[in-house]
Amino acid sequence: MTATKTAGKTRVVRELLRVMGTVVTFDVIDDGSKDDVHVALASARAVLRRADAVFSLWKPDSPLSRVRRGELDVIDAPSEIEEVLRLCRDVRELSDGWFDAEAMPGGIDPTGLVKGWAAKRSLDTIRRAGFENALVNAGGDVAAAGTYSANHPWRIAVADPGSRARILGVVELDGSIATSGTSERGAHLYDPKGHRYSTRFSSASVVGPDLSIADGLATALVVAGEEGFSFIDAIDGYEAVVCDRRGGVLATSGFAFS
Amino acid sequence: MKVTVSGSRITNVSIASLNDGGNYRSQSIDQQSIPMLEQQALQAQSANIQGVSGATYTSTGFDQSLQSALKKLGL
Repeated sequence: MTATKTAGKTRVVRELLRVMGTVVTFDVIDDGSKDDVHVALASARAVLRRADAVFSLWKPDSPLSRVRRGELDVIDAPSEIEEVLRLCRDVRELSDGWFDAEAMPGGIDPTGLVKGWAAKRSLDTIRRAGFENALVNAGGDVAAAGTYSANHPWRIAVADPGSRARILGVVELDGSIATSGTSERGAHLYDPKGHRYSTRFSSASVVGPDLSIADGLATALVVAGEEGFSFIDAIDGYEAVVCDRRGGVLATSGFAFS
Repeated sequence: MKVTVSGSRITNVSIASLNDGGNYRSQSIDQQSIPMLEQQALQAQSANIQGVSGATYTSTGFDQSLQSALKKLGL
């Protein structure tokens, strides 16, 4: 599905892709000076479909499913798996162990950051094709490059976990924002320290330069609760806003809604 | 350290204010054509945004989401 709107020579090209069990939307600003934007978008879609094929835990024959069953060594698997598992270890360290792909029931599970990682790669593909202003929103985890227009940064609303039709506020995005919570898919988030499916916040959103990191940190923070603010504060460039169980909105000191 | 954010909730955004600052569009929106969620989305603050960050939705959830409403409205 593609939609465009034009004003002079600059237009916003929009696409929507159902992949990875969710919906990904692309917004690319096309000023007409580059190669075909649809070629760039085709590459961006391919990145996400490839990530789905490699990392899906719903597909028993995916490389990650085979790694989990011990049928495939990481070293023999597609190289993305090792890259993502390394990233998972980085985020485990950054989050004081609140994100831990290796402590998941059923085997190693990088799901908490794969979507963000894939969306970032997808955006990088669009940028490499020469489109400096673009947005990829993978089911609520958003990576942005450049701006929407010269005087208008990308503006992203943070959903209110209590209502699909309400928002907590708006962030002007320079980099990325990831949100984790249970409002859409129920209690699927696992507490690696308490060894049970449990979250302390209704939702947690993390903004920062790298969506794969932000995605893992949001997963960690929603599970950790207020204790998690200390690890977010310790990471340069990342800030967070959360909704607690009573509907209160809390944020790190460097976070601001626009 | 944490601080409590308050006063950031936007309320009662009127449809007239739903222009995007990028000036790529200027179109009227027929309120009658907007389903309930989109009405709520409008009333509940969607001015001038290009997307929504929230807990990962399923494809079905997307169709019921503010993000979907924004896309349908072409915002």
